[in-house]
Amino acid sequence: MRKIYEELARKKEQISRMGGEKAVANQKKAGKWTARERIEYFFDPGTFTEIGPFVRHRITAFGMADKDVPAEGVVVGYGKVNGRMVMAAAEDYTSMAGTFGEYHGKKFATAIDMAKEMGIPFVGMNDSGGARLQEGMDTLEAYAWIFKSQNLASGIIPQIALLMGPCLGGQAYHPVMQDFVFQCRKTGFMGIAGPAFVKTQLGIEIDLETLCGIQAHAVKSGCTHVVVEDDKDCLDRTKELLNFLPQNNKEKPERLPATDDPNRLVPELDGLVPEHSLMPYDMHDILYKIVDGGYFYEIMRDFAPNVIVGFARFNGRSVGVVASQPNWMGGVIDCNAADKVARFVRFCDLFNIPLVNIHDTPAFMIGPYEEHKGILRHGAKMLYAYIDATVPKVTLIIRKSFAGAYLGMCCKDTGADLVFAWPEATVTIVGAETAASVIFAKEIKNAENPEEVKAKRIQEYRDLYENPYRAAERGYIDNVIMPNETRKYICGALDMLENKTVARPWRKHSNINL
Amino acid sequence: MNVNAPMVGKLVSVDVKVGDAVKKNDAVATIEAMKMFVKIYVPADGTVKEIKVTPGDVINPDTVIMVLE
Repeated sequence: MRKIYEELARKKEQISRMGGEKAVANQKKAGKWTARERIEYFFDPGTFTEIGPFVRHRITAFGMADKDVPAEGVVVGYGKVNGRMVMAAAEDYTSMAGTFGEYHGKKFATAIDMAKEMGIPFVGMNDSGGARLQEGMDTLEAYAWIFKSQNLASGIIPQIALLMGPCLGGQAYHPVMQDFVFQCRKTGFMGIAGPAFVKTQLGIEIDLETLCGIQAHAVKSGCTHVVVEDDKDCLDRTKELLNFLPQNNKEKPERLPATDDPNRLVPELDGLVPEHSLMPYDMHDILYKIVDGGYFYEIMRDFAPNVIVGFARFNGRSVGVVASQPNWMGGVIDCNAADKVARFVRFCDLFNIPLVNIHDTPAFMIGPYEEHKGILRHGAKMLYAYIDATVPKVTLIIRKSFAGAYLGMCCKDTGADLVFAWPEATVTIVGAETAASVIFAKEIKNAENPEEVKAKRIQEYRDLYENPYRAAERGYIDNVIMPNETRKYICGALDMLENKTVARPWRKHSNINL
Repeated sequence: MNVNAPMVGKLVSVDVKVGDAVKKNDAVATIEAMKMFVKIYVPADGTVKEIKVTPGDVINPDTVIMVLE
């Protein structure tokens, strides 16, 4: 064999050993797979092509001249995932701790640029010790390259970020700006700064888990969308999510052959909702019964549980579901819930995924706590998201839908194409108690028996308005249906709305409250 | 560990007593808020050490409903 062929084989073998045996062993001990193992598991066998394995940094300062970093600490390439082309970048923690330097960043950024132009999804497997400080400005500007690349690709191709190791500083910024962030329970961390920096700058002692782990981001901050157990679970669940998404914004998600009859009646829904209007129930019980095969892929399950968002299929079609959760905070909409819904709705709109919106919410949250957090501008996000969206939107009103919450969860005139309601629905501007005490305030105050008059007026308002029929008379509800017919109506509506196109005058984008 | 409410409301009932063992996500009390009965869930496993409120009290996110150990 020619010497030059032997040389190539030798170089490739060297690169495939990544940071060396010891570093790889440490990686395994920490409960993590290596970058190359993750790539191997993720892509369909034999379909992955690596690009840029020979890319090398060009810094000579700070001992870098002789430092060899295999593949610049990131494995980049393309291949098939469940038969569909995907671009991926997997940071290699065993090679100089997967630190982000000029050419590491360049590999990442050009991969995203290419994915954008080819119209294929991008998956980033993030596992890094942070920015490579030795490279100074070269590192910093490389962050600008990657931010620019992914932000210009945002809304053109789906981008998924997997937190499979520490991701601090700039390394947290690029994942968080992508469409969905997955975080590994014990090994995934994300933060603008880690414990060491926080200690030196602020004097606060805090461990990595508390500052940057699952509680911090899946529960409190809402930066993480899906919590996964480990690397394998992470990659499995990522593939599951990709199944719901199209390759790019010019395509619709793949429609699977329907295995669940779209006309299936669901008799268990009749009488499921408690008759006492104050009693809560778990909305998941309803969702699992109406979607194809009881399969619901929940997003942000632990953040703002008072509203549920996620993907499911109706008659084989990929659909985004938004639903109130009466079991948490009564299904009231607060700042976090509004943010959660708005971003999810806007993502579905970007990628041609129709929306099904299910109402059982008494209101937007009032009072000083939410007021001073800005419930006004957060709640506005929902209105902007739904009105701006041009994908098909089917609304189902199950029980309560009052006032601003009725509008915010998508009603006839805030973007819904079709609105169906159960007989249990109470759709009105305010609840009877509030209305009666405002409209009849004078009469009640001057009455001989105020409590009796108040109760009478409340009942009067309730009989007249707390039902779906006033809205149905105006055509704001398209039909009142039996609960058992829900699936049939939703599937039928999505059939009819399949080729919906909306024409609007040009503008850059709306000025959505942020 | 303190158990707080997620929102402002009126305490309807406390559904455990001092000494009870509770597990993460158990419902331990109910408040009425915004026309709904809202259950209060426990953030982690523990034993009820002290109950600091009585039905009828107005509860807000800063109110400690009960203390667990």
